[in-house]
Amino acid sequence: MHGPSYLDGLAQTAFVALWASLGALLLGITLTLLRLMGGRWAAAFVGGYVQVLRNIPVLLPIYLIYFGLPTLGLFWPAVVCGGMALIMQNAAFISEIFRGSIKAIDRVQFDATRSLGLSPWTTFRRVTLPQLLVYSLPALRNQAVLLLKDTSLLSVITVAEVTMQAKVLTERTASAYHAFLVAAVLYLAIVALSELAFRIAERRVRWR
Amino acid sequence: MIEIRGLRKSYGAVEVLKGANLDVADGEVVTLIGRSGCGKTTLLRCIDLLEEYDEGEIKLDGKLLWYTNATDGSRQRMPEPVIRQMRQRMGIVFQQYNLFPHMTALENVCLGPEFSQNISTRESNELGRELLARVGLADKVSAYPFQLSGGQQQRVAIARALAMRPRVLLLDEITSALDPELVAEVEDVIRSLLSEGIMMVLVTHAIGFAREISNKIAYVSDGRIAEIGSPEDVLDRSQDPTLKEFLRRLR
Amino acid sequence: MTSTLWILAQGAAVTLFLAFVGVIGGTAFALLLNVAAFSKIGLMRISYHTYIYFARGIPLLVQALLIFYTLPAFGILIGPLTAGGLVLTLYIGAMFAEVFRGGVLAIPRTLWDSTRSLGLPPVPVIRKVVIPLVLRYTLPSYINVCVLTIKASSVLSVISVWELTLAAREIVERTLDVFPIMIAASCFYFVMCFSIDRLGRHVEHRLALKGFSGERP
Repeated sequence: MHGPSYLDGLAQTAFVALWASLGALLLGITLTLLRLMGGRWAAAFVGGYVQVLRNIPVLLPIYLIYFGLPTLGLFWPAVVCGGMALIMQNAAFISEIFRGSIKAIDRVQFDATRSLGLSPWTTFRRVTLPQLLVYSLPALRNQAVLLLKDTSLLSVITVAEVTMQAKVLTERTASAYHAFLVAAVLYLAIVALSELAFRIAERRVRWR
Repeated sequence: MIEIRGLRKSYGAVEVLKGANLDVADGEVVTLIGRSGCGKTTLLRCIDLLEEYDEGEIKLDGKLLWYTNATDGSRQRMPEPVIRQMRQRMGIVFQQYNLFPHMTALENVCLGPEFSQNISTRESNELGRELLARVGLADKVSAYPFQLSGGQQQRVAIARALAMRPRVLLLDEITSALDPELVAEVEDVIRSLLSEGIMMVLVTHAIGFAREISNKIAYVSDGRIAEIGSPEDVLDRSQDPTLKEFLRRLR
Repeated sequence: MTSTLWILAQGAAVTLFLAFVGVIGGTAFALLLNVAAFSKIGLMRISYHTYIYFARGIPLLVQALLIFYTLPAFGILIGPLTAGGLVLTLYIGAMFAEVFRGGVLAIPRTLWDSTRSLGLPPVPVIRKVVIPLVLRYTLPSYINVCVLTIKASSVLSVISVWELTLAAREIVERTLDVFPIMIAASCFYFVMCFSIDRLGRHVEHRLALKGFSGERP
């Protein structure tokens, strides 16, 4: 009887984590691009965006979107709202990771490609981006695990992931903490698995 | 005097010291030379028990150091407070990063006397200033290591070692990491110590300097003292082919 | 509007209080943890790493729910605020512990050799060498964790600890005035976190002038 619920929860957690990670990565790349090539105002905007999202707790964007969209007439499912909040938050951190990587990667390489006459966009796509991704992999891995753990917060807006399932089970069976222990173990397991998967992927990429 | 007998040390499966013997008489200066990995630095560090050795004996003025020999043949590491006392009889200067970066030169020098030997702050301060003046850094008493050149840092390190009034000074390639023009000031300080009758064991690649100040030079090869004698004997008149090759390479 | 702002301000005060408890408690706990981390007894070291694994692998929310629900089951009845402080101390303590541990490991080997060769007893070594160096090495990370503590306190709203996030949520559920309230709450958080960050940088700067900037060789 407990089985299916946890499985559903795991599926939901994995689903949100994967899509939110992807979205955050894309948004993070976009922000980085904006910062690099968008001129002064764009860079300032990105800077401000990052500062704001780094200094507020994750729950606030989640509540803001979940409670706020309906007031604008948009009744999107909780998963979508939660996912959007996670994407916005993590994109800020990812763009900071990229910013750090760009500083660390050899400037000379960028200048060299410029002298070859490649357009900025091509330079970014062919030279900058791949290097950036490879260099940032450890930090990105870290961020992905943080995102995975943050999915538990979506339980407060009724997204049926692992923590939510545990909460429901607690209320239903009156065995207070048992469900949360299971949830804790599940998280430890998926965190460990994701770290492992990442490290394998990292090693593969390094060999190229 | 120092007597070292049968020193053996292995790192896992690799035996670095294979039964090294060495004697240093009072006031003597001995230099260890040899190729990288021959064990000379390990030997030096073992003297001060900065490396634990597996077999062998080290005696200072006839007293056994570091390990006791139980009657059943096994040996036991002496208690930590005893080891600390023994270490105060020796001073060691490393190749780099000797000094505590968050303390001034004076604070670095006074740290040992004040906290290991429980000398009063005022006295250790006086001692510190004296020693810093001795190594030519009287005006750098309040300087932090990052404000000092490499040579100056090494000189402070020597002063710090001397502050403990050691019986022997161990010097581990103290000029190897220095820019050439800074080497002389450090060598000058070492020269000035010769008259004090303090025992010294050096590891160095500076053969010229070694020839000048050493009473004996020991060629360390394959974890043992392969040859030892006066500088002329070892550097000019040696028959050992590996030693001759090593010296040739250094030119 | 001013009354809502006043409520939010009170919530922010509780948040600050919780963060304060988390930082102080966490630091103390982290020092204890580091004794275990560097203990000669293998079992202590394993316990340390196991604890860190759990504290960092389990989401804060789940840790909070666990503590909030398990304690009554064992007969320990404490209010939400105390539970929240406890959870925060355990969680943030683990983060501080890793920061401190990293700092100790960053001390170059020759400095350890130097303390040994001078025959310094353990207490002066820790007092005059380890603590000052670790402080300087870990200051940026320490400040980071302090900011994290403020953000982490918002999760405690789920176990009914009344602080800024819960205050904001209650007002929103009452008035449906989502955007202004949430933005106001965000401003409070932003000011708190940003100030701590700036303060930290200022202290770093002052320390750099006084000796060295905490760079490792």
